[in-house]
Amino acid sequence: MKNKKYNWSAILLIAALVLAGSGSCTRDYDELELVSYPTTPEVFIDGFSAGLNYAAFGGSKVTAFDVDKEVKYQGSASMRFEVPDFEDPLGAYAGGTYFTTVGRDLSGYDALTFWAKASKSATIDLVGFGNDLGESKYLVSMQNVAVNTNWKKYIIPIPDPSRLKQEKGMFFYSEGPEDGLGYTFWIDEVKFEKLGTIAHRQPVILNGDDRVESAVNGLKFPVGGLGVSFNMPTGIDQTVNAAPAYFTFVSSNESVASVDATGLVSVLSEGTAVITATAGGTDAMGSLTVNSSGDFTHAPVPAEDQEDVISIFSNQYVNVPVDFYNGYWQPYQTTTSADFKVGDDDVLFYTNFNFVGIQFTSPTIDATTMTHLHMDVWIPNAVDPADKLAVKLVDMGPDGDLDGTDLTLVYEIAGPLASQSWISVDIPLSGLSSRSKLAQIILERLGSTLTGFYLDNVYLYGSGGGTPTVPTEAAPAPPARDPADVISLFSNAYTNNTVNSWSAEWDDSDVADLQISGDDVKKYTFTNFAGIDFSSDKFDASGMTHFHIDIWTPDDVMSKSLSIKNVDFGGGTAEATSHILTVVHTASGDIPALATGSWVSVDVPITAFTGDQTRSDLAQMVLSSNLSTLYVDNIYFYKSAGGTGTEPAAAAPTPTHAAASVISMFSGAYTNVTVDTWRTDWSAASYEEVTVAGDATKKYSALNFVGIETTSATIDATAMTHVHLDVWSADFTNFGVKLVDFGADGAYGGGDDVEHQLNYPSPARGVWVSYNIPLSDFAGLTTRGHLAQYILVGEPAGATTIWVDNIYFYDDGGTSATGPTAAAPTPPARSAANVVSIFSDAYTNITTDNFDAGWCEGAAVTQVSIAGNNTLKKNAGIVCHGIDFSTNRQNLSSFTHIHFDLYTDDTDLTGDVFNVKLVDFAGGASEASALEVNINTGTTPAIVAGTWVSVDIDITALGGIVTGNLTRSDVAQIGITTANLTNVWYDNIYLWK
Amino acid sequence: MKSNNVLFIRGVLFLAGIFILGGCENNSGLEDRTYQLVWQDEFDADGAPDESKWAFDLGAGGWGNNELQTYTNDAQNVVVAEGSLKITAINNGGSFSSARIRTQGKFDQAYGRFEARIKLPWGPGIWPAFWMLGADIETNPWPQSGEIDIMEYRGQQPNVIHGSVHGPGYSGGAAITKSYGYANNRFDVEYHVFAVEWGEDFIHYFVDDVLYQVIEPGDLTGEWVFDHPFFMILNVAVGGDYVGFPTSDTPFPQTMNVDYVRVYTEVNGK
Repeated sequence: MKNKKYNWSAILLIAALVLAGSGSCTRDYDELELVSYPTTPEVFIDGFSAGLNYAAFGGSKVTAFDVDKEVKYQGSASMRFEVPDFEDPLGAYAGGTYFTTVGRDLSGYDALTFWAKASKSATIDLVGFGNDLGESKYLVSMQNVAVNTNWKKYIIPIPDPSRLKQEKGMFFYSEGPEDGLGYTFWIDEVKFEKLGTIAHRQPVILNGDDRVESAVNGLKFPVGGLGVSFNMPTGIDQTVNAAPAYFTFVSSNESVASVDATGLVSVLSEGTAVITATAGGTDAMGSLTVNSSGDFTHAPVPAEDQEDVISIFSNQYVNVPVDFYNGYWQPYQTTTSADFKVGDDDVLFYTNFNFVGIQFTSPTIDATTMTHLHMDVWIPNAVDPADKLAVKLVDMGPDGDLDGTDLTLVYEIAGPLASQSWISVDIPLSGLSSRSKLAQIILERLGSTLTGFYLDNVYLYGSGGGTPTVPTEAAPAPPARDPADVISLFSNAYTNNTVNSWSAEWDDSDVADLQISGDDVKKYTFTNFAGIDFSSDKFDASGMTHFHIDIWTPDDVMSKSLSIKNVDFGGGTAEATSHILTVVHTASGDIPALATGSWVSVDVPITAFTGDQTRSDLAQMVLSSNLSTLYVDNIYFYKSAGGTGTEPAAAAPTPTHAAASVISMFSGAYTNVTVDTWRTDWSAASYEEVTVAGDATKKYSALNFVGIETTSATIDATAMTHVHLDVWSADFTNFGVKLVDFGADGAYGGGDDVEHQLNYPSPARGVWVSYNIPLSDFAGLTTRGHLAQYILVGEPAGATTIWVDNIYFYDDGGTSATGPTAAAPTPPARSAANVVSIFSDAYTNITTDNFDAGWCEGAAVTQVSIAGNNTLKKNAGIVCHGIDFSTNRQNLSSFTHIHFDLYTDDTDLTGDVFNVKLVDFAGGASEASALEVNINTGTTPAIVAGTWVSVDIDITALGGIVTGNLTRSDVAQIGITTANLTNVWYDNIYLWK
Repeated sequence: MKSNNVLFIRGVLFLAGIFILGGCENNSGLEDRTYQLVWQDEFDADGAPDESKWAFDLGAGGWGNNELQTYTNDAQNVVVAEGSLKITAINNGGSFSSARIRTQGKFDQAYGRFEARIKLPWGPGIWPAFWMLGADIETNPWPQSGEIDIMEYRGQQPNVIHGSVHGPGYSGGAAITKSYGYANNRFDVEYHVFAVEWGEDFIHYFVDDVLYQVIEPGDLTGEWVFDHPFFMILNVAVGGDYVGFPTSDTPFPQTMNVDYVRVYTEVNGK
């Protein structure tokens, strides 16, 4: 080989240089730089070449390398590398570098070559040259080099030989276990060569991609993906990783972004710059377009004290150990990281975002004393207003593993997401029942346009670090209530009953009094249970519908429970009956979940308790828990006015028809006839006899239809004109009544049976609906001398619950002439978008929380049918009707008119007033302002007796009958009040535009 | 006509049997010959190849060798630009297009010097060639009509070219052939001149004026059929029996650059 020769004269000159450097001679240094370095190509042929040293890499198994005289490609020896097994105590991998102390001139070569084989097929992680244990300026490496049990020649091209005038790094390698197992590989005949058969050098930056990055001033980041591709003697291309020193980087706009010799880009000002590179005179494929949006705005500086914080990522605090800020979860994650630092501020930057996980399992975070998770988000690009960012906080749960039993808190940062400004998010942790083993934060986009964001100041904070603490704020203040509606044991909001002992002698727990923000609180330290005794001041809570208690615990609530037992003495001196409510770490029905570090308001109907709900002689309450500490406040019973929305709170209206003209099947007001069954075998419904506010009522649930029979003594209703029944339901969409007459034979069949069913679609829900149905409406019921079956039908079929009362026939004797006989005028057809209807058969009505909120003691209206049209009739003696939809508030700003129809049969209209009031909450929890429409006998329109009066008034300006405040962007309630009106019917309450 | 239409060739030493020539000693053992240029295409006019000189072979079907490409006359596959003819093989997602042009019916000649200056493409499965077929091939079926391959090359071996003749009894895999290669250079980096000098009883093969193969009637295993006019062909095939198939590592597109094609006749006694 022609190129295998030694430049002895050069080596001698180097020797002279060494002498000159160590002597006292004052030779001109520049002159010496002309001296050339040895061009020795051999690295390892059958042993170390002249001047070659070996050093194992840190953490590697230092004995991995040895010279092998048995196995070799040719000559007398090879290099043997023993890759350790996983967890080899002597080192995790094999790796080291071969270097010289005096550089060699390798500029005459174009590749490092060697032969290699292995004890099994494997891929060596990294081999290369240019590692001199110092600057390693011209480092070159080849990744994932496949080896097998046959000797094969390998070629590592030199990206630019002209750079290697004094190279010391001759060869290096690094290889770890394969699937946990070690093995052996051999390398032989390592030398630099001038092959001449590698060609078509093509440098690449960013792996050859043209990439565009959003940036801000002050950001610094390296241009990555540096390599040089060559066509090998086999005709195929091969890329080696090449150090930045082989490249010359150029910025198209140095004032926007500069790039230094190492490829580090510094963003300087707003604008666009394109970073490109050349290597060895060849343009590199790939470019980086930097779009700077200008000065970086730092995230707001967190204000919490370090001791109140568990920080995951912030320069403001000491951060806990974090496994990673980007898990690169394959295969679905596309998110990459381009984290940066501006000044002293580190910022996470997620690009190509779809979702990303931040994990901290070593150790997990115990956030028991923390109340919130904070993070600051900056979105550089514009985002679709509908897109959102979901934050998931994951607790490992009791098993301490990330698996299917994890507990996850999901919080959505709602759109529209701000672009180019910091979004500070504080997520309450109260929704996460256990947070002693927090392990992950997962960020996920909802939508498709959010492609990246900066993230900073990710930390948990709370009232104080370290030990479990007291609540930092008072329990929520209970609402003002009529004293008659509350029986309070402990609350600053109400007058409390006398309690003998807050921790009775017979319990095993302790109680302490304290104040939090001026509010009295009881602190229980449990062993097993605490007894609250008020037996000297027993009370009757029968009229109360609900129970309330606020609780707060610093404990981890996983696997914990609190049971509340109300003890009724039944008139005696010891427990007769009791009912129990159990609160656990998950919510169920009306019962909320236990939570750590936040007030939980347990506010439940008595029906949520199990056991005998008798509460006429309550004397004790027992709290049992495996929690160690529990703060309690606001223990009281109350009466929910106007119903809860799911069941009637008030009894049905008391019938007023004279007993003499009534045949009653079921009513507390009359003597009832014999009814064989209130639920026949062939019915599709469940049946209960219940009391509503003390009034016996029939309750049918899971109702499709129910049959009621009087077959043993059929009813002769020939003298009757109407059938009456009062019905209450929270959920029915249709109600039907069928009457069956068995005919002259008085028995089923026989060819003389007649029947007829009437249906009432869209009945009012949440109020007692009184049906007074002329029997003549049952057109098919041609006889009514032997009425034997009465069938009630509910829809949705099988999913309807109704309460029924006052089922009777009556003879109106001509007395029902009062009231409207015609329906209110039918409203015109309108586009649904142009109407918000509160009550009308013509439109779809909005959902209300409570259609009859009982603002004036008891049900305000009864729904009646006037000529087949659902109409509201004011109940006697009631002067206000509240309609509450505060959880379905209406922005009526764009609606220009309000409409309602009213009818009165009063003969004396003196002082009669009818008001409709739109109540605006202005985003708050109660009335902020109201718009009122006031009608009386002097207004236009005016109250007129004996005819429907349609009020349809412009509400865009005050004046005339429109008073109050025009604001109607957050309307939560409608109030209808009357004065001096004895009987009034109203209908078609809606807004339109 | 160019003024230097007379070329004086100094013969070079023939180094028989050496596969790879590392040396460069120039010491001719051959008698001097004097050639006169009679046909040329310098590829100086941009656009499609000169119709007066070249015809296209079009289509697919493997061309007798299971080749993969479809030959077209599209400019993306064959064009004259920047002073050279460019024949480019393109990978259209697993199907390949390329080009093949010939002087059949436009120019043919018996004997003389046939040369082309070419920079070759590269990559496994790339098979460019500069070669000749007997002009009577349509009436005198191959291999009786004869074939002279001035240069063939396999893209997976970019430092070696091959010269061959095919005739009756020595065609296909039994062709008379020799290879010429570089120890430390390749044919796809710079231009090289590939030539044959052909007389009544010899064919001499040259790369850059280095003689690497002499074929005489006695070297053949069959009849000497190189006694009538031949036409020239330039093409880049993809895949096929000769070269093997391209791999996922084969870089595409691949272009053969031809600076010129020149044909001379020997001028005796001058």
